[in-house]
Amino acid sequence: MNNSKKKHKTLLTVTRTIWNYPPLLMTIVLFIVFSILFPDRFLTPINFSSILGQFVTLILFALGPSMVVTTGSLDLSYIGVWMLGGILVWRFTPLLGMAAILVIPLLGLVTGILVGIIQVKAKVPSFILTLSVSAGYAGLTSVLSGGYPRVVRGYEFLTAKLIPYVPTALLWTIPLIVVAVFIMRSTKVGAYFYAIGSNEEGARLAGIDVDRYKILAFTMSGLLTGIGSIIQFQHLGGSVPLTLNMNTLIQPLTAIVFGGTLLTGGSGGPDRTIIGALAFAVLYRGLYISLINPEILQLLIGLVLVLSIVIASRGLKGVTIT
Amino acid sequence: MAHSTIFRGSQENIATIISVVAAIAIISTFQIINPSFLSPQGRITLVYAMSYFLIAACGLTMVIMMGSFDFSVVSLLKLAALICVLYIDDIGLLVIPLALLVCTGFGFVNGLLFAKFKVPSFLATLGMSLVIEGLALYLSKGFLYMITNRTFRALSVTFIGGLPSIFYWGLGIWIVSIFVAFCTPFGRHLYAIGGNPTAASLCGVDVVKTRINAFMLSGFLSGLAGVLYMAQFGGGSIEIGADMSIPLFASVVAGGTSLAGGTGGPHRTLLGVILITWTQAGMSMLAMGNDIQLVVFALIAIGMSVLTTNRKSVSVVK
Repeated sequence: MNNSKKKHKTLLTVTRTIWNYPPLLMTIVLFIVFSILFPDRFLTPINFSSILGQFVTLILFALGPSMVVTTGSLDLSYIGVWMLGGILVWRFTPLLGMAAILVIPLLGLVTGILVGIIQVKAKVPSFILTLSVSAGYAGLTSVLSGGYPRVVRGYEFLTAKLIPYVPTALLWTIPLIVVAVFIMRSTKVGAYFYAIGSNEEGARLAGIDVDRYKILAFTMSGLLTGIGSIIQFQHLGGSVPLTLNMNTLIQPLTAIVFGGTLLTGGSGGPDRTIIGALAFAVLYRGLYISLINPEILQLLIGLVLVLSIVIASRGLKGVTIT
Repeated sequence: MAHSTIFRGSQENIATIISVVAAIAIISTFQIINPSFLSPQGRITLVYAMSYFLIAACGLTMVIMMGSFDFSVVSLLKLAALICVLYIDDIGLLVIPLALLVCTGFGFVNGLLFAKFKVPSFLATLGMSLVIEGLALYLSKGFLYMITNRTFRALSVTFIGGLPSIFYWGLGIWIVSIFVAFCTPFGRHLYAIGGNPTAASLCGVDVVKTRINAFMLSGFLSGLAGVLYMAQFGGGSIEIGADMSIPLFASVVAGGTSLAGGTGGPHRTLLGVILITWTQAGMSMLAMGNDIQLVVFALIAIGMSVLTTNRKSVSVVK
């Protein structure tokens, strides 16, 4: 009796999951469309591994912020942490050897705590705060690097080829994703994040220590981004750029929005962001393959971002938007 | 809590005092290091750095007063400048109304997305800035262009009383902005919405229309700044405004206009613009790289945001 009940439940869950994730449908549709349009260029193993590679880049940056977004804030500091972390690794390798790579999670953790405290205590809007942090870190990166891009060798084992056509970075990323989704969906902390995002005043009145959990959100995001940046660092060649590239900043944000996470908080999270990242990777590679002008590509991505935000914001009647 | 009177509350005064002291300290430091900082030639350099910046900052101030944010100011500046240089040989001085129209149009779209479609303002303007950048890239193809039309350049570089005409443009726009903020219903509505949008709408303020108008005004002023920028520099490429976003935002906040809205105004923005642009000029004079400048401005932006936010009145900040 118990066995058949369990099977019934599993089937329900699967059906419900597919129904709950429209972006999944969108990804499949996009995939089919591009396969029909450009079969010879799109359906190659190289293209698949490129899609997966881009997915890895997106998700490693977007995982932490997608947790912060559920509380209603934004965390744009991932770029800064990655850049400054990369240069600090270069700086500390003579001193600490291979352990220097641990500087990045440390930086992420410290940044997360700082941002959380400033956001909560000084009530600075998170968007501006984290953007300024990224800009400041980018400047520091350039200062510390002495002006030249610096490559750090010795971490190639992180991305050595294991499975053909699957970036090894993806294998490293999966545990991170599992941890993030688990925290958001199956722990008290995650539940509180959603509560704060849905109605901060209400959560406070219900007895949740909103300040503490918001700081926790930023801290976790920073730590997750920091750990992810270790993989990201090698995945992107063992060095970091010296200037803040707005495209690199925006794309993880687009992935979060694509996944269906409302930027005002209360729903979504890492599980949705995975699909959003996949959808964006497929879209981007598809457009890239189509060999349209790179300028039009940027325009299109911007339009797509705006459109997806508009669609996602349709359900916000009664919410005060600034 | 809509404060539009000039002297009000200790919170605002502290921020103002800090800005003034910082400005005086920084200017004195630079003057001591390089005595030609405030010489007539140096003053002209400072004016050139400051004027187009002030115009764009006034537009941004209006939006921030309302409690929103406009991320597309720099992109619109770039687009307007590029439109001028790209088409001036074809349609002459008509590029000016064209550029202004295009920028105001984008401002209208920003306002529409925000007021009608409930897209948070920074996201709407961020997304639109991507579109505008893409458009600018597509139009200019990345090349560098120069202007040879003397009449167009005379807009900014005609010297009157020892200072270039762009200075008087900046001064004029600043004065007009103060007038709009304090003496027109539109200005008071901006403060009202910034203080409390729901209360403002209950008081009869047409929140949607005012918001759209504010973004259109911001777009228009960004376009004007772009036109005058191109007239001043005489050439440019897609690289215009590369490091302008953070300093621009920092100058509005450093002046004392709070991000939560309802306080501050263009009169304060002048102080912020002087602080930021003169610091920028001074740092460049000392051959401090763009990277260090970026760090400094990020710190100023964060620091002044912290100082100007009135913690008691704002309950929920995301």
